[in-house]
Amino acid sequence: MNRNDIDLYKQFVKTIFKMRYKGSLLGFFWVLLKPFFMFLILFFIFSSTAGQVGNLTSKQYAVYLLSGLIIYTFFNEGIIWGMNSIMERAGLIVKINFKREIVVISALTMALINFCINLLIIAVIGLVLNLSFSLVGVSYIFLICLTMFLGMYGIAFFTSIWMVYVRDLAHIMELVLQLMFYASAVFFPIEFIPEQYRFIVKFNPIAIFIQSVREALINQNITNLNFVLGSLAVSLLLVLIGSFYFKKNILKVAEHF
Amino acid sequence: MKDISISVRNVSKDFKVPVKGHSNTLQERFLNPFQKTQYREFVALKDLSFDIKKGEFFSVIGPNGVGKSTLLKIVSGIYLPDKGEIDVDGMLVPFLELGVGFNPDLTARENVYLNGTILGLTKRELDEYIDEIFRFAELTDFADMSIKNFSSGMAVRLAFSIAIKVKSDILVLDEVLAVGDAEFQKKCYDYFDRIKGKKSILYVSHALASVEKYSDRVLWLKEDRTYEIGDPKTIVNKYQNAV
Repeated sequence: MNRNDIDLYKQFVKTIFKMRYKGSLLGFFWVLLKPFFMFLILFFIFSSTAGQVGNLTSKQYAVYLLSGLIIYTFFNEGIIWGMNSIMERAGLIVKINFKREIVVISALTMALINFCINLLIIAVIGLVLNLSFSLVGVSYIFLICLTMFLGMYGIAFFTSIWMVYVRDLAHIMELVLQLMFYASAVFFPIEFIPEQYRFIVKFNPIAIFIQSVREALINQNITNLNFVLGSLAVSLLLVLIGSFYFKKNILKVAEHF
Repeated sequence: MKDISISVRNVSKDFKVPVKGHSNTLQERFLNPFQKTQYREFVALKDLSFDIKKGEFFSVIGPNGVGKSTLLKIVSGIYLPDKGEIDVDGMLVPFLELGVGFNPDLTARENVYLNGTILGLTKRELDEYIDEIFRFAELTDFADMSIKNFSSGMAVRLAFSIAIKVKSDILVLDEVLAVGDAEFQKKCYDYFDRIKGKKSILYVSHALASVEKYSDRVLWLKEDRTYEIGDPKTIVNKYQNAV
């Protein structure tokens, strides 16, 4: 990492940010509005049927839903943007010899920025609902987010390369992510899942991350710490192996764009 | 290796060109599971070797489709050769196109920072150069206008003004003169005069007069994939007689 790499990284992130919301009237506020409206829709559907959702009061459900949506959105955007990053910069990559990894990490950084902005919504809604945040709980959420970020960075080293060879990956991934959305209990309490299928949520890392964030937010409890630390180790390993794989293959894919 | 900037040793490169409407999707394989995709081998470069000395102006000429651009991309570290080795000693910046990464929706100023960092400059260096870049491009009054409102001439002027600020030991230039008007070409030639002997240059062009004038040596890539290296006058003459 030299000075120019860092500057280039900042430039890429800035450019993606400017381009993503350029030309739209509300611009950057869509980052906030999109998950917020998604939240409102799901909240009214589920909490209007009864005073409570499962064992949750509607106030608890609001936080439950919001944290699920935000973690899931982070996952969704990180996976998709990471996967598309190299293809999207193909024009640049065949013309100049800068460090290709910067393209991948800028895409993921964009997802991280969105996530942090979304956290602000939770903070605001939390204050409105008179929720108490604990320092330990909030730090734990950041640890989970770091774990996910590294994991997705590692995955993107592979998917961004594969994407060049097999364009279908975009459609396949869309389906996988749709499946993950339902398998992660984003908008319904786990008790809604029949007993014999609950293992899906028990062994789904994203579901576990979401549950841990919820516990940290609603009850200020640290849960699944071992799992999170284990995932952090696996994520670091993924980044290491991934960057090795990426370095070996990025020059080979250049002629396949 | 001490006085050599670029060393190309026995480099070969083939491309596999799919014969029938091949696309990178699984669809075709589903529809025709027994049909193997047929490729036609296209030989771009065959057993090519040469060295470029430090400070040498080395040009490549030849008809279209003999692998000139492929050679530049391999030397620049964008493509991988199938066989052979490339050694580059020093910082190499390729100009296969001017204004790489220019984003039409950003302002000229934003594009200077974007393009400049892509070419290896730091933000601090660009802060220092930016006024000079706009002055040299004669676009000071347009710094905050979107590039999409620029004429192509203006965009090229801006790109060139950034390019000449780039710090490098080796420049790889592909047809950079083809894009501008006479005035722009004069600026390019002035620049060549200034850097000649100071930087190693690998230059591809169809402008044979400029090749003959500036080069120390010329590589002629022929259609039968043989090649010839020699002093500019001889090679350019031979090439002109051959066409």
